[in-house]
Amino acid sequence: MNQNSLANTTVRFRLLLFCLMFFSGCAAESVEDYPDRPITIICPWSVGGATDRTSRQVGVFLEQELGVPVNVINATGGRGVTGHSRGLNARPDGYTLAVITGELNMLHWQDLTSLTYQDAIPIISLVDGAAAVFVKDDSPFHSMQELQEYVKQNPGKLTATGTASGGIWHLALAGWLDFSGLNAEDIKWIPMNGAGPSLQELASGGVDLVCCSLPEAKTLYESGQVRCLGVMTEEPLPEFKDVPTFKSQGMDWSISGWNGLALPLGTPQPIVDKISNAMKKITSGEAVLQGKTFPEFMQAAGLSTKYRADDEFAGFLKSNDKTLGKLLTSDAFAQMASQDTGPLVFPAMLTSAICLILVCLAVQKKVHALAPDVSSDTVTSQGIVNTILVLLGIVAYLLFAEKVGFILTAGTILFVLLWKFGTRWWMSALIVLCFIPGIYTLFAQLLRVPLPRGILGW
Amino acid sequence: MESFITALQNLASPEVLLVIFLSAVYGLFVGSIPGLTATMAVALLIPLTFYLDNLSAIAAIVTLEACSIFAGDIPTTLVRIPGTPSSAAYTDDAYSLTRQGLHETSLGVSLVFSVAGGLFGALVLILAAPLLAKIAFQFTTYEYFWLYVLGLSCAAIVSTGSRLKGALALMIGLMFATVGLSEVHSVPRFTFGFDELFTGINFIPAMIGLFGLSEVFRNCLTSKTDEVAKKLESAVIKEDDHSLFKHLKPVFGGVLTQLWKRKFSWFRSSCIGSTIGMIPGAGADIAAWISYAVSKKCSKTPEEYGKGSLDAVGDATSANNSALAGAWIPALVLGIPGDSVTAIVIGVLLMKNITPGPAIFENPDQLVLVHGIYLTFIVANLLLIPLGFLAIRSGSQLVRVPRRILMPLILMFCVVGSYSINGSYFDVWVMLGMGILGFFLEVFAIPLGPVVLGIILGSQLEQSFVQNLTKDDSFLSFFNRPISAGLGIFCIVLWLYPLLMPLLRKKEPVAN
Repeated sequence: MNQNSLANTTVRFRLLLFCLMFFSGCAAESVEDYPDRPITIICPWSVGGATDRTSRQVGVFLEQELGVPVNVINATGGRGVTGHSRGLNARPDGYTLAVITGELNMLHWQDLTSLTYQDAIPIISLVDGAAAVFVKDDSPFHSMQELQEYVKQNPGKLTATGTASGGIWHLALAGWLDFSGLNAEDIKWIPMNGAGPSLQELASGGVDLVCCSLPEAKTLYESGQVRCLGVMTEEPLPEFKDVPTFKSQGMDWSISGWNGLALPLGTPQPIVDKISNAMKKITSGEAVLQGKTFPEFMQAAGLSTKYRADDEFAGFLKSNDKTLGKLLTSDAFAQMASQDTGPLVFPAMLTSAICLILVCLAVQKKVHALAPDVSSDTVTSQGIVNTILVLLGIVAYLLFAEKVGFILTAGTILFVLLWKFGTRWWMSALIVLCFIPGIYTLFAQLLRVPLPRGILGW
Repeated sequence: MESFITALQNLASPEVLLVIFLSAVYGLFVGSIPGLTATMAVALLIPLTFYLDNLSAIAAIVTLEACSIFAGDIPTTLVRIPGTPSSAAYTDDAYSLTRQGLHETSLGVSLVFSVAGGLFGALVLILAAPLLAKIAFQFTTYEYFWLYVLGLSCAAIVSTGSRLKGALALMIGLMFATVGLSEVHSVPRFTFGFDELFTGINFIPAMIGLFGLSEVFRNCLTSKTDEVAKKLESAVIKEDDHSLFKHLKPVFGGVLTQLWKRKFSWFRSSCIGSTIGMIPGAGADIAAWISYAVSKKCSKTPEEYGKGSLDAVGDATSANNSALAGAWIPALVLGIPGDSVTAIVIGVLLMKNITPGPAIFENPDQLVLVHGIYLTFIVANLLLIPLGFLAIRSGSQLVRVPRRILMPLILMFCVVGSYSINGSYFDVWVMLGMGILGFFLEVFAIPLGPVVLGIILGSQLEQSFVQNLTKDDSFLSFFNRPISAGLGIFCIVLWLYPLLMPLLRKKEPVAN
């Protein structure tokens, strides 16, 4: 029995070795062949927003230009920290592109990340949406001057929202207040998770003002449920000619949110050029998909664009970083960052609730009441060994999957588990051969969720 | 009326029907794989929608959504891993039924009630869209706060066994939700120096770990002497032998009578579903929880809930399916998404030069599309009956696979599912940690459902709480709007009721 299983192990190892040798030949990669496998775009914001729509549109056009599938992954959360660091810290092989947004020039001033625009190779800027101020249709304000006058008389009375506190639209409004000689705290900022919920709050009468870009409020604006007091640009927007600019109302204040495409630092120059050229072709309207060009798609989606390529984009990033930094480090803004309800209030409330419940349970003597079907006499020593094997299997996957690849790691783990749980070795091998390539194909090919490639390069 | 007929003609074209059929299959497939959500499936579909005409594109999304939410019930019932978060409310009921060898009946109830709930949701969408959207537009942060409290309270109250333990589970979940960069404060909390924790704990790997992996652990630990399991396997096989001759019977037998018998509770659950779905930000998952709680309160056999109650599965599943259509109401009428899927829909519509809003009900061309959406909801739900049946049949084969083979395979799906949602190894660690936690929570008879809901809703709850206090720092302001006052008082009564009951019944001897 023992000898038999030993022999099985040798057979298995020979097989593995053979597979390794066979496939390792296919794994070599070169810059000339780029791209020869799917490309991933990391979008730092959630599905449905302006940046997501831009990323997906770029993905579709790049797929046509480069001839390989281009997938978009929304790595959201942490106010953009997550997505930006995943995109810009990715392996610089040209297979991960990063969509960067205005927050890249803000987060590092707020000490939320060490990442700056200098960690990115700028390719091209895409959307450039100017901030605009909205009120509900029954609001007494009809121009920015009226609003300014009211705030001067009644500081701290009005509430506004549009994004999280310290986000780009908050910065735009607070910057305007500061510019008008008012205190940045004179309008209370209610932190919200994006423009959609903010506009809903405005229409329900929960806040007095919303600051966000015009395309984000297009529906409510066009149906007349909200009014736009002004857009923070010098020239009127071509899509919204009726909306007065701040400049036309005597306020020389402009600020906008932007996004663009970038590559991680260290990407080989030929690859950078290839992507840059493809993007130029796409944004110039040369590439046609479904009878429409990229600029036409963007216009249909109501997104204002400003295409700045390579060095021009780099120059913009530098000056934008300086402007935002100046605002964010100013006294007016630093004061405002402190809030009444601190970050630990809610967790403290929860902790006291947990303590209270535990005390109640202790009083009722219920803490040790175990579930009926788990008790010490159903647990066997074999069971403990099996559970440890499962734990080790997951840890092994975490340690080896990235280097060795999904197929080999998962295959080995599955084989060992099946075999140790009492399935015959050939049956286990058969199951592994059926399932593992199946799962890989399912996720990587059909569902377009890339699993670790590893040394097989599959 | 004319546009309705045009919409019907458009929908009846072979291309559109083919698109609907293919998306139904795709939806069933994606929904039944843990880790892949309906939202993700729709997002993956976006590039394809460029190649489709307007009606086909929207029809594809509607069908995909309806089918994947039902398909989420399949792994929930068979292997106790909720396929989508909407199934989390009745995971224990559905899985208990499987352990009794009644998985096909349970899935049959899921299917029929899903279809019935979906059709009801479609009717609400058709009849009341513009009117009802106005109500949803009364919701400010105050109302949201109470809505979240209500959803979370329901989860704690419906949990089996001790209510206190349900509340404890809820608090544990809420505590996990505070990990990461706080959305309101922009301050990292409890990240312990891990960059990955900035995003917080993703609820999908958490859910897979809590329900799926803990089940694997439990099965492994009791592997040799699992006489219960052996009995179960033989029971299942016997039951299946019988069903080989009558495939339809175990799935649909008695389900229609069940539906007729429970027509009022179906109506109640579907109403709850549509209403919750309409409120932006509250989706199918909250709808399922609230409906489950109401169903338990009204039930004559509340002690069965959580231990394999078909009524519970039926009511909760009709609520989550009717919520889907509800979410389209604010999306179409106001351009504000009711849930994450409709957020994508708005993006697709804008891309196709259609701006959602009151205007689309007036423009004749676009009205045809709106009617097309109505009809697709009906067609998709009807198509779900045969396709869902096939999915149940093929899924049910899983139960006959011996546990020593099934457990390693489920483990693989746990790992791949939690990895695939963000392509992050950290999520796999989260899944592992949650699996161990889930195992021990169950040993102490603490329910897992409230933990999951706490993780999902925790940050929104805190956000609305802080927003309210930023607007006005007195707690009385939480009650200063009519709807918020009503919801608030209801929540407080809900909490005080179980606290007061023992005082009122003090004289009765405590059972056990």
